[in-house]
Amino acid sequence: MAKSLEHRDLFPGALELMILHSLRLKPMHGYALVKHIRQVSDDLLQVEEGSLYPAVQRMLKEGLLESEAGVSAKGRPTRIYRLTKAGRRRLEQEVSSFERMFAGITRVLSIVKV
Amino acid sequence: MPWLGEFFSRRRRYTDISISIQEHLEEKIDELVDAGMSRGEATRAARREFGNVAALQERSREVWQWPTMESIWADTRFALRQLRKSPGFTATAVLTLALGIGVNATMFSLVSAFLMPRLPGRDPQGVVAVSSVNPNQSYQPDVYAVSALNYLAWRADTRVFADMAADAGRTGSLAGQGQPEAIRYATVSPNYFGIFGVSPMVGRTFVEGDDTPGRNHVMILSYGLWKSHYSGDPAVVGRTLRLNREDYTVVGVMREDFRLLGYTPQLWVPLTLSAADTSPLSRKDRYLFLFARLAPGVTLQQVRAEMNTLAHQSQHDFPDTEKRWGASVRTLPDYLVYEFDIRNSLYVIMAMVAFVLLIACVNVAGLLLTRGAGRQKELAIRVSLGASRSRVVRQLLTEGVVIALAGGAVGLFLAVLGIRILRAALTFNVAISSVPVSLDRRVLIYALCISLASALLSSLAPALKASHTQIDTDLKSESRTSSGGRAHSRLRAVLVGGEIAIALFLLMASSLIAYGIYRLDHQSLGFRQDHLLTASIVLDHARYSSASQQLQFVRDLIPSLEQIPGVENAAVTSDLPASGGNKVSIRVQGEPSSPNDELRNVLNVETTPTYFRVVGVPLQRGRTFTDADDDKASRVVVVNEEFVQRYFQGHDVLGKQIQLDGQNATPIWSEVVGVVSNVKYSSEAARVDPEVYQPLFQKPVASFSIMLRTSVDPNSLIPELRHAVSELDPDLPLLRAMSMDGVIEVQHNGDPVFSRMLGIFAILALVLASIGIYGLIAFSVLQRTHEIGIRLALGAKRSDISWMILREGLRIAVIGSSIGMVIAIPLPRLFNSMFTGFHFDAFNIFPTVLTATLLVAAFATWVPARRAARVDATAALRNE
Repeated sequence: MAKSLEHRDLFPGALELMILHSLRLKPMHGYALVKHIRQVSDDLLQVEEGSLYPAVQRMLKEGLLESEAGVSAKGRPTRIYRLTKAGRRRLEQEVSSFERMFAGITRVLSIVKV
Repeated sequence: MPWLGEFFSRRRRYTDISISIQEHLEEKIDELVDAGMSRGEATRAARREFGNVAALQERSREVWQWPTMESIWADTRFALRQLRKSPGFTATAVLTLALGIGVNATMFSLVSAFLMPRLPGRDPQGVVAVSSVNPNQSYQPDVYAVSALNYLAWRADTRVFADMAADAGRTGSLAGQGQPEAIRYATVSPNYFGIFGVSPMVGRTFVEGDDTPGRNHVMILSYGLWKSHYSGDPAVVGRTLRLNREDYTVVGVMREDFRLLGYTPQLWVPLTLSAADTSPLSRKDRYLFLFARLAPGVTLQQVRAEMNTLAHQSQHDFPDTEKRWGASVRTLPDYLVYEFDIRNSLYVIMAMVAFVLLIACVNVAGLLLTRGAGRQKELAIRVSLGASRSRVVRQLLTEGVVIALAGGAVGLFLAVLGIRILRAALTFNVAISSVPVSLDRRVLIYALCISLASALLSSLAPALKASHTQIDTDLKSESRTSSGGRAHSRLRAVLVGGEIAIALFLLMASSLIAYGIYRLDHQSLGFRQDHLLTASIVLDHARYSSASQQLQFVRDLIPSLEQIPGVENAAVTSDLPASGGNKVSIRVQGEPSSPNDELRNVLNVETTPTYFRVVGVPLQRGRTFTDADDDKASRVVVVNEEFVQRYFQGHDVLGKQIQLDGQNATPIWSEVVGVVSNVKYSSEAARVDPEVYQPLFQKPVASFSIMLRTSVDPNSLIPELRHAVSELDPDLPLLRAMSMDGVIEVQHNGDPVFSRMLGIFAILALVLASIGIYGLIAFSVLQRTHEIGIRLALGAKRSDISWMILREGLRIAVIGSSIGMVIAIPLPRLFNSMFTGFHFDAFNIFPTVLTATLLVAAFATWVPARRAARVDATAALRNE
């Protein structure tokens, strides 16, 4: 576990949050997820594509996602990930905690400016 | 259990991961190609952006793995590799533990069979055994049999008992085709099998009404009898067999697994209580064993309290017969195990083999310490490369576990052999041999547990020791002669000293017991037991209902026995000498009846006149019986010296009138006409009880033993004896025909096996301890080769070198033995309290055992010491 932490981008939980958020819109397979995150963030967030997979497996294990056999855009077999109820709940919690954190950070930063 | 599901879906998960990653790359490549790259360029670019495919795949998989488990597996594989590299060490360690685990598993199979017996029927836990408590000195007085009247009274107490059944063991003759055969059977109340909840194999069990006279001639065969005599033919149900000269219809065959530990009658018939059984005089005939089911919601405590009340009530109502008698209730398993009376012996044996295993563990610990000393550099490298101390300890412990599990596996194999030997040794009586001893699930679990325990015991200390590595010194030290050896030797010396202490303690324990048993088994019993042939006869009621018929049989029997060539004299007695017997109270004429009368117990035996000559009990004063002492003559008795000492303080008793068993309606007085020497109460007890002999012709008995004084090997006359009896009555079976030596051997039953077992284990312990001390000294000699070389080069004499080494070993041996002696001091007292009837004392045992231990330890030291003296100085020094 310790190993995977250092591979998380930005801060712990960010990748997870983005995966949860993206999958809320619609179920996707891995490559589609990466593309989606890149497009939505206007390439601001560089995700090492491969590091998506350990994160997805962790979330599968925690029951936030479920996977099913499906076909990619190119018609090849792949696995489609879908948000579970638990995943939806987690997303809500994470979003609110991130918002609180951002608010806190913003406030601290603004004080420094003054 | 989600983890279990995860474990099994793991392979699917791995495939999912590969498929997803594969598709990811393909899609990316396609896209890049679409954007104008060549396929080769596109592949490289896709892979670059993706990262290390193998590593990411591995990390994705790790999510589904248990890191601890996986690393334990890696440790195990490493341990196996390490052990394979030193086969000599591995074999020694594995075999040492295998020996320890093997004997433990073997002996535990006895515990499993005898102390945790398989119980018959549905819900055996709900069955209790109800017994009398005998206030007099007797064998297991608190599980004594119950009289018919008490059975009826107690069964009627529906407040605590839902149902109660009675069971009485009997011997009788079963006639099928040809000679009648003596069998053990039981008379049981019709609800007996219902109490245990067992169903028959064929036919039916007894039903209500089977015990009414006229309908009670039905029988149920045991599985064993059915197989051996009726070749397992179900058609035997409905057939008529002759039991004790009466016709009985077979109504069923009992299942094979119906067994009350060692109590296995060959067939069952209904118990019918007659008027005589329920007359007030029969209160002192206690012969029933009771099993009951408690009423719903009644606890064991409540039923015990209730039984106490009932016992008090009958003490009050029937002071003549019930005074001081109590009642006890035990759960079925508790009762069976207690009644079997093997618990203490098994405890001693288990304690013994546990110590043997401990010594084996200490030996392996010693081996591991030596090995740890040799591996210090390897460990130092591992620590310097970042292995934590706990990681190193875990690795070393894993090695210990692997050794112990291998030892356990080999040990189980040894246990299979051991149990086979045990089964062959445990045939000295039916009760023992009828209980199946096997390597069952409990033994397997036990073996696994002790394997793991020995892994910890043997490798924890060495692992902790070895993990205390100082990287710098250990890596720098070049010489194999000087490093770390001292500290390791010190710990090993402590271990070996402990081993010797334990071995000495075990030798002490087993010698005490073996000697105690030996002395008791070889004590003088007070008569000539050689050249005596014995056999028992039970005269059945069908043909010998009256006393005169019984007497006539004995009168006819003796002369015909005396005509057998090789027989000098023949006698008939109600009880064999030194085999316990019937206890009755006495009164002396002219002394007032006192409440203490019932405390004046005597052993009461009925004999024919020739008895004293046949058995070889010397007459001290007066006379023995003559043929004139018959039912028409006045009553006479012969007493033993103990009787005179205890009740007449050695004064003259000839001519005194005594009354036996004061409960008779009309007192019968008998004159003391002779005094004979004492005979031990039992061959298993050192005590002598006051004894009163009565002429059998004045008090006939239906069940008696024949005794023949022979001039040839008594066992060779058994066929002639059988023939002589069948001449008189062809349907009468002869029971237990064997020499008196044989009778006593049967009484001693397990003792020789028991003491032999203890002896073997104690010697095993000593051998293991000697191997331990040998290993320690040999290693120390090896380590000190360099030093010895220097000493020799400086002019030390070879004998000095030997002596120096020998002293090292002897010091440990002396200290260890002294500790062993001290902890063995309370042993005699402990054993005396555990095994009643025996007397253990230590005076001649302690010095012998101490000398033996020191000699063995000295020998184990002497071998490497001699080798040290032969060290070649130049070679030893060049070794650098």
